[in-house]
Amino acid sequence: MTEAVLLDSLRRECDAARRALEADFRARGDAAAALAGRTSLADRVLRSLVSTLFPARPEAPGSCCLIALGGYGRRALFPCSDLDVLLLCADAPAADSVRAPAAALVRMLWDLGWRAAVTSRLLEECDRFELDNPEFSISLLDNRPITGDSALGAALRQKILPALAAREHAAFVRSLAEMTRERHGKHGHTLFHLEPNLKDAPGGLRDYDVACWATAVHELARHGTQGRPRGWTAPESGWGELLGEAASAAYRFIAAVRVFLHYHNGRDDNRLTYDLQEEAAGRSIGVPGAEPLRTEEWMRLYFRHARTIARLSKRRMDEVMARPSLYSAFEDWRARLSNADFSVHRNRVFCRRPAALADPLFLLSLFEFVARHGLELAVETESMIEQALARAGYAAQWPGDGPSTGTQLRRILHLPSAGLALRVMHRLGVLDAVLPEFRAVDALVIRDLYHRYTVDEHTLLAIEGLHALPHATFDPDRRFAEILAEVEQPDLLYLALLLHDVGKGMPGENHVLSSFEAAERACPRLGLAPYECDLVAFLIRNHLEMSLTLQRRDIFDPEAVRVFSELVATPERLKMLCLLTYADIRSVNPESLTPWKAEMLWQLYAAAANYLARSVDVTRLAPSSGSDRELLEVVRGSPALAALAKPLAAFLDGFPRRYLKLHSAEEIAAQFEMARHLEERLVAGDLHAAEAQLRERRGQYELTVVTRDRPRLFAALTGVLSSWGMNILKADAFSNRAGLVLDSFVFADLYDTLRLNPEERGRLLGDMEDAAVGRSAPEAIPRRRFARGAAARSRATLATEVSFDNSCSATSTVFELVARDRPGLLHRISELLADARCNMEAALVDTQGEKAIDVFYLTRGGKKLSEAEAQALRESLLRGLDAG
Amino acid sequence: MTKIEAIIQTSRFEAVKDALKESGIEGMTVTDVRGHGRQKGHTEVYRGREYSMDLLPKTKLELVVPDRLAETVIEAILKSARTGKIGDGKIFISRVDEAIRIRNAERGEDAL
Repeated sequence: MTEAVLLDSLRRECDAARRALEADFRARGDAAAALAGRTSLADRVLRSLVSTLFPARPEAPGSCCLIALGGYGRRALFPCSDLDVLLLCADAPAADSVRAPAAALVRMLWDLGWRAAVTSRLLEECDRFELDNPEFSISLLDNRPITGDSALGAALRQKILPALAAREHAAFVRSLAEMTRERHGKHGHTLFHLEPNLKDAPGGLRDYDVACWATAVHELARHGTQGRPRGWTAPESGWGELLGEAASAAYRFIAAVRVFLHYHNGRDDNRLTYDLQEEAAGRSIGVPGAEPLRTEEWMRLYFRHARTIARLSKRRMDEVMARPSLYSAFEDWRARLSNADFSVHRNRVFCRRPAALADPLFLLSLFEFVARHGLELAVETESMIEQALARAGYAAQWPGDGPSTGTQLRRILHLPSAGLALRVMHRLGVLDAVLPEFRAVDALVIRDLYHRYTVDEHTLLAIEGLHALPHATFDPDRRFAEILAEVEQPDLLYLALLLHDVGKGMPGENHVLSSFEAAERACPRLGLAPYECDLVAFLIRNHLEMSLTLQRRDIFDPEAVRVFSELVATPERLKMLCLLTYADIRSVNPESLTPWKAEMLWQLYAAAANYLARSVDVTRLAPSSGSDRELLEVVRGSPALAALAKPLAAFLDGFPRRYLKLHSAEEIAAQFEMARHLEERLVAGDLHAAEAQLRERRGQYELTVVTRDRPRLFAALTGVLSSWGMNILKADAFSNRAGLVLDSFVFADLYDTLRLNPEERGRLLGDMEDAAVGRSAPEAIPRRRFARGAAARSRATLATEVSFDNSCSATSTVFELVARDRPGLLHRISELLADARCNMEAALVDTQGEKAIDVFYLTRGGKKLSEAEAQALRESLLRGLDAG
Repeated sequence: MTKIEAIIQTSRFEAVKDALKESGIEGMTVTDVRGHGRQKGHTEVYRGREYSMDLLPKTKLELVVPDRLAETVIEAILKSARTGKIGDGKIFISRVDEAIRIRNAERGEDAL
């Protein structure tokens, strides 16, 4: 047969076969058939061409063999993929003799519409790992002889490659790792793209190939040809049951989509564009026989499968990686993190007590270890967990005690590598078991051009984004890092982030409401205290408010600031909401938090923080009016307060509204009891009575004093704490219409006096009560010699700033001080204010690292200070504080 | 054809977008920008430190419309973006010589 006749015949055959394969795929969606069909067609064409073009040299020494490589070798030839063929020759004379036929072969293949790449090599050349062309050596792993000298093909498979794999195992694996890293880098190291590349992006088909190659190299190196018991076609047999099945299903799905793309585009274009997602979903590509899916649901399947393949690839590479001894020695320095339960080897965590993984709290402690040290689990540890979960049925019902689970989850959330731990927990199904609400957003797609990530990925990125803040070096991130450092209970902020979008996967039009309701179920189950539940619920309920204010209001308009500030109501809620908003926006897509937007967010935060600091006495409680709705809600909502109703009204009358926000219902009830006890003592004739209570709170102490107002009261109380060596971190001072003062101090016990000597608590309370009624002066208490030590502890230099504002309060002059924090500072300030005959109507004291930030609402003679008086006081404070 | 470029308060954007939609105009390009005219910048003193924004955040809209619709668009923007305060922004008008749709090479008003 002449070449022209052959070409014509083959052209008709190829065209007919291609049309038939495409029609069959359109009808049935069977990707495996499409790939096998095209592979068979290529085999037939090649054999026909070779039999015509090549000289007949039946299996003589010095002969040749045609070998399929790449996808062709794997029998997975996609409709528009290249045909990779190796022309393997026994020796140089054989190679010379087929040079011309090989060129003709390539020409004719292209004429027939095949994009063919034919590489010629001598057998001996395949016995070395090509460092400058690792792709070739790796492609040999997919070898499949098509025609020619079978002995040559067998020599390659059974002798050359096993020896090469054994000898160059490290080079193979290192090349695979580097090529994967480079490829992933071109796709942002994430599988989440609006228009993912099905072949090259993380989680794509190339990652599946990497898993196969890693397995092939490893098995060949270990067992020679015996390492591939089912020949060269079933690497999955070594992947484990669970992951193997999931990975095979994932491959079938994504392969089907790639076939669809090739037929649609008519070329090797593997980008799943926005429009084609819709068409693929409508045709149920990848799920043959299923009803057409909504595009979001179909993309959800895609991301789940991509995640499985990414996990498979990573796991296989982890298993086969052999590192140079110097690196493993470096890695093993972390082995010192090992403890009785977990050991660390080569940066991976192993479980020393596998049987204990059935205990839910032990299981969580493993993730706590991960979150603390930032270490991935070893593959075998993951397998143990999967088996333990399956045996114990955790997916159906988390058996752990709710509050204990909640405590551990909060600890995990607070640790620096919480994101890593949560990802592992999510991957293994533990997160869904602990927090079933999160199941609703697994791989959930929000299909628009703005949301790049699935909802679960967005949530995890948001948490990681906050944890990364302490490492920020530039504004505005650095400013948000400062806010984060001040948050009292960051674990609650992270918990709010974890739940803030779960509503998107739940029925209902308004995801904010659904998330809020989910949090109302989850938080009590996790053992959060009522005020903690309220705080998390508030954050979730309002998690879009700050963002909406930025978009729809003029944030430089005082009225807009007022409205927003009154929504958040307390500085702590403002800080947490600001950070939640920062993290939420930042993790929508890589460009969503522009510097412009971050600056706007910061400006709104600062304006609201200033408003809250300067508006304490703008509105005061008026329970006697009967129409104070907010007050009524708080009272009715708390059994502790509802029972006290009428006498409570007199206690609350005149307190700033802020008081309700700063204290929980339980705290208000306790403080009311203090006030009632004080009243009883006063009525009984004990005119120098004061009530003081002390409690420990999260490693610090909170001391509350209820007493009648008198001159220099605040100075006296702060003096006692100062004399005792306590560092006041926060304080607030309020008074009601009846002249009752309620001062709260949060302090750190610098000398650990109270913990080491519990009996001293009574003495401290006694000193506070004495100082409150003027029975003793703070100077009488032996002063701790802490001043020198404290000064040495802090090397920060910070200029003292004092400012005042006579316009933000109707009744008081508001002073704001910022100074370097040091023990005794608040006492010094309050002495200076008392010396200036100022009455403190309210005070808000806070500490930010080395900085003390204090706001005082002052009057003199029952009125605001004049401008001149305020200026004089300012100068007196500056002189007095800089001298002290 | 007329190009209309409007720099408005960010907080008025939704209102302007709705007003344009009601007037039958939907195509526009929106950019977040910073700037100021006579409006002074904003300084917030927070914990003793000054945070100044000399260039204030604004939103820029760009539209190209047939000449006969230009006044409609201008009126819609003026009514919906105005608050009466300094900082409301400005509208700039310029002529466009040609417009071409990339998808099918349509030209002129048909490409808008």
